[in-house]
Amino acid sequence: MPDLVTITIDDVEYQVPNGMLLTDAAKLADIDIPVFCSHPKLDPLGACRMCLVEQDVRGRWMIVTACTIRVAEGLKFRYASEAAVQAREDTLEFILINHPLDCPICDKGGECPLQDQTLKHGPGASEFQEIKTHKEKRYPISDLIMLDQERCIVCWRCIRYLEEWEDKPQLGLFNRGGETVIDFFPEQPVDAKTSGNIIDLCPVGALTNRVSRFRYRPWELKRTKSICTHCSQGCNVRLDARIHQLRRVVASENMAVNDEWICDKGRFMHAFVDAPERLTTPMIRDHKGGELREAGWDEALALTAQRLAFTADVQGPAAVGAIGSAKLSNEAAYLLQKLMRGLVGSNNVDHRGGAAVLADPRGLSNMRDVEQADVIVLAGVDPAEEQPVLATFIRRAVRRRGAKLVILHPRKIEDTRYPGAYASYTPGEETALFDSLSKALLKEKVVQERAAKLPGYAELADWLHSAAVGDPAAADAARLVLNAKRPLVLYGPAVVSGRNAAANRSSLMNFALLAGCAERTYYLAPEANSVGVRDMGLLPASLPGHALVGDLPARERLERLWGAKLPSDAGLACDEMLSAAAAGKLRALYLVGSDPASQGPAGMAALQKVDFLVVQDLFLTESAKLADVVLPAVSWAETDGSFTNLERRVQRAPKALANPHSQAAADWLIFTELAKVWPAVSGEAKTEASRKSKRKIGDAPRLWSYANAQAVLDEISRAVSMYDKLTWAALGDEGKQWPWELPKAEAGRPAGGALPTAPRRLVIPERRSASQVGADFPYTLATGRVLFDGGTLLRQTEVAGKVAAPVAVGINPADAAREKLAEGQMATVSSASGQLTLAIHLDEAVRPGTLWIPYSLPGAPVETLLTSASDGAGVRVRIASQKAG
Amino acid sequence: MSGLGDVLQGAAQIAGAMGVTLKQLTKKPVTVEYPEEPIAVFPRYRGRHMLRKYDSGMERCIGCCLCEAACPTGAIFVDAAENDPANPHSPGERYAKTYEVNLLRCVFCGDCEEACPVEAIVLTQAIPMPEQNRRSFILTKEQLLEAPDSNIAIRPEA
Ligand code: SF4
Ligand code: SF4
Ligand code: SF4
Ligand code: SF4
Ligand code: FES
Repeated sequence: MPDLVTITIDDVEYQVPNGMLLTDAAKLADIDIPVFCSHPKLDPLGACRMCLVEQDVRGRWMIVTACTIRVAEGLKFRYASEAAVQAREDTLEFILINHPLDCPICDKGGECPLQDQTLKHGPGASEFQEIKTHKEKRYPISDLIMLDQERCIVCWRCIRYLEEWEDKPQLGLFNRGGETVIDFFPEQPVDAKTSGNIIDLCPVGALTNRVSRFRYRPWELKRTKSICTHCSQGCNVRLDARIHQLRRVVASENMAVNDEWICDKGRFMHAFVDAPERLTTPMIRDHKGGELREAGWDEALALTAQRLAFTADVQGPAAVGAIGSAKLSNEAAYLLQKLMRGLVGSNNVDHRGGAAVLADPRGLSNMRDVEQADVIVLAGVDPAEEQPVLATFIRRAVRRRGAKLVILHPRKIEDTRYPGAYASYTPGEETALFDSLSKALLKEKVVQERAAKLPGYAELADWLHSAAVGDPAAADAARLVLNAKRPLVLYGPAVVSGRNAAANRSSLMNFALLAGCAERTYYLAPEANSVGVRDMGLLPASLPGHALVGDLPARERLERLWGAKLPSDAGLACDEMLSAAAAGKLRALYLVGSDPASQGPAGMAALQKVDFLVVQDLFLTESAKLADVVLPAVSWAETDGSFTNLERRVQRAPKALANPHSQAAADWLIFTELAKVWPAVSGEAKTEASRKSKRKIGDAPRLWSYANAQAVLDEISRAVSMYDKLTWAALGDEGKQWPWELPKAEAGRPAGGALPTAPRRLVIPERRSASQVGADFPYTLATGRVLFDGGTLLRQTEVAGKVAAPVAVGINPADAAREKLAEGQMATVSSASGQLTLAIHLDEAVRPGTLWIPYSLPGAPVETLLTSASDGAGVRVRIASQKAG
Repeated sequence: MSGLGDVLQGAAQIAGAMGVTLKQLTKKPVTVEYPEEPIAVFPRYRGRHMLRKYDSGMERCIGCCLCEAACPTGAIFVDAAENDPANPHSPGERYAKTYEVNLLRCVFCGDCEEACPVEAIVLTQAIPMPEQNRRSFILTKEQLLEAPDSNIAIRPEA
């Protein structure tokens, strides 16, 4: 409880918390002091003079700005006095002198603080007769944001946001007096990854969204509070729809998740929802080699159910597989694996980045924890590109609390600009660096004393002692972490995937244990529902709730719930399914939101081999082009769904719009309808004749009747122990983090069981064989996610092309000189499994001896170079300038 | 009472009524053979809408949707877009990409005209023609930009 002080406003005394800004304190007293420049998320400045009030200063009443004054005992103010009202009126009249009469064509009109305050506090008439000043009205400050300098009221909010949250002072004020304009610095358009937030912040229509410009008036939008599904942060957004189209996305406040910010991908890249290329009707290919033709749902579903059941009966359930995606909602992921396990009888179900990644289900404990840390270790993760809003919290910690960043990354990522330590490693050789860190720690006496109690200490110490590791950069990094009071270790999927995933993880955890921060070491999941689909059991070896498929009690519980016998041996992972398909062992494949064909020739070849391919997606992807049945799905905005973010927060994404001209259906509904037409008795589908005979409908529909997506979530809350009681209603607007406390009325026991604890044992990391080193392939491939890649969803937004990462391979200038490669030149990068053609980009940030190619570049899928997707980075490659002709 | 009296009274009534008919025979008929002949309307008569242009040929309408918001019956639909600066439809950055008035909904109240900040949408005195199907009663932007062709005569205001 902060101490209260007594202040007087207009002769009435109020008790308010000491030190509060007067504008906020007045709000407690129901006095709404108008503001423009003041904003709860930005530091007070006092630039606009809108908030003028009178203050008693040693007996004299003076005009002061309420937004910069902190209240203290005995202060006296006047808000409604004639002088104060006059002062505010004058300020408004003054602001309006040069403000253009643009309201009818201004995007802000209708939700504009300047309009509202002019109505409430303005003089009503203007004495100004002269001609208004003219400035640039159509002035792009980036490919995403347009500035109208005439409308700007010079409140500094945009400038302050970029400074205080992004730490990128990219906008400034130029000229003086009436000529003052906002502008960027020469040749440096705004490129902060969360720049769009300044559009929401601007109190007038000076900054506008170039994707949504002129496509709405605020009063005609249907507004739905939802979440963004572009990354694992799960930022809260508002989806604004008009005539069944998603016209605008704006940020929505959730202090626990995204404060009030979203990144530019979430704000601008939504055209895919309304894209004319969207699939609108099911399609069937009658015979291999034929064309896809449009079909009705009944026909497409019946064919899919019969062929999948038929393959399972004749070839065995293991000949059927399904690959989902980490972008699927919990409901869709849950039903897909229920369909595969319960109806097909196969554990062949996975998603890209599923079984291949040794993810930790714990995830971050609490997003805002980041701001409280004093040392943050980023291992193999680049939040600025992967979770840009989390990156703003990290920068906040650096700027506000002087936090230091310890960055362990193959590339010298942007945040290495901050004080701390940077150590790079060659992808695939992560343990060399992590072990060096542990070794450096072991030199410290406190570590020796503390760690001696840990099981496995003696062995590890011996082993490290003799290990030939000792990265020179490690000593500084280790010392920083050791001396930290609130260290935080964040690592990304790159560290825990590929051949050496287990070794990398033990090696990193050893370091964390020795440094005493194992409980504060967190995995940063990449995709919108990476955490959720794992919880739902969209994995070949684990059931919903992370129980292993071999776990009999867990299986029996689900068998009772689903009324089906479940297979007990682990299924094939994503890559294994594709190789099994290529080898002719997997005969039917169901792809839901995944597109292996676009990831290089190997995936394409695998899909061509299967007898029956079903693709359920938004677009006619490369994989869908090969399918026997294409089922049109809808995006997250067009159906109810829940998603679990990287801190295990389950959040709702309600239906915001629907295209009345499309027959596309929600994933959960497609699975439900498929189950309803599933041939009843196993064996019935065995003969061609019986397949054609009238189907008998079995038990399945009874256990597969969901009135809506929320009913699916109800079942999830019964099937997945951690989601106990997490119904749609219980999630509320803010979402719920599991495990969560039940309301007092329900005995106060924590629902969802306890959180798995961090490992307590030191383990000698056992590396598998080193990657094929040789003169043939002198470089190591480094890859990772960038915010604006060339993914299917992004490509639909026109401006995405302008901001997207260039289709280029990053190479250290020293390596380029040796290879005689110049900037912009076309080159071929090849590995043992394939080759790519890209432009050369000389980049100091790239570690010598490595080549950097981000995921999902349009026309240059880096997956082509990987022997299997689970390899992740660390593949040996060579580079050569492309031969002419 | 005699039967004859009734007959005579009846005949007189018929003659009186026929007199009215006969008198009208010589008069000019009230029916107007519209559209062959002009119809007379008062100057402030509110008929079919029109989107005005500037003398330069540029559209006045800036796609602000205020008419749409003002319309009590939801008869107007406006969807705006950004002008191509090299080849603008209207002054400023915004124009109406789609503009439709549904005459079956419209009650000809004139609120749209009242709301328009640039005097683009106006109600002319033209009388909408009958159509064969409901869709044809939805006027498109192209139709609205043309002055309606309507055979009317303006009456002096009484
Ligand atoms: S910023 Fe507000 S006041 Fe200014 S033109 Fe836009 S709507 Fe009108
Ligand atoms: S552009 Fe908007 S946010 Fe920036 S100073 Fe001008 S009015 Fe304020
Ligand atoms: S005249 Fe009235 S009812 Fe008709 S379109 Fe205009 S505002 Fe709507
Ligand atoms: S007709 Fe007038 S009110 Fe209607 S959209 Fe056009 S400019 Fe706005
Ligand atoms: S709100 Fe106080 S000076 Fe701007």
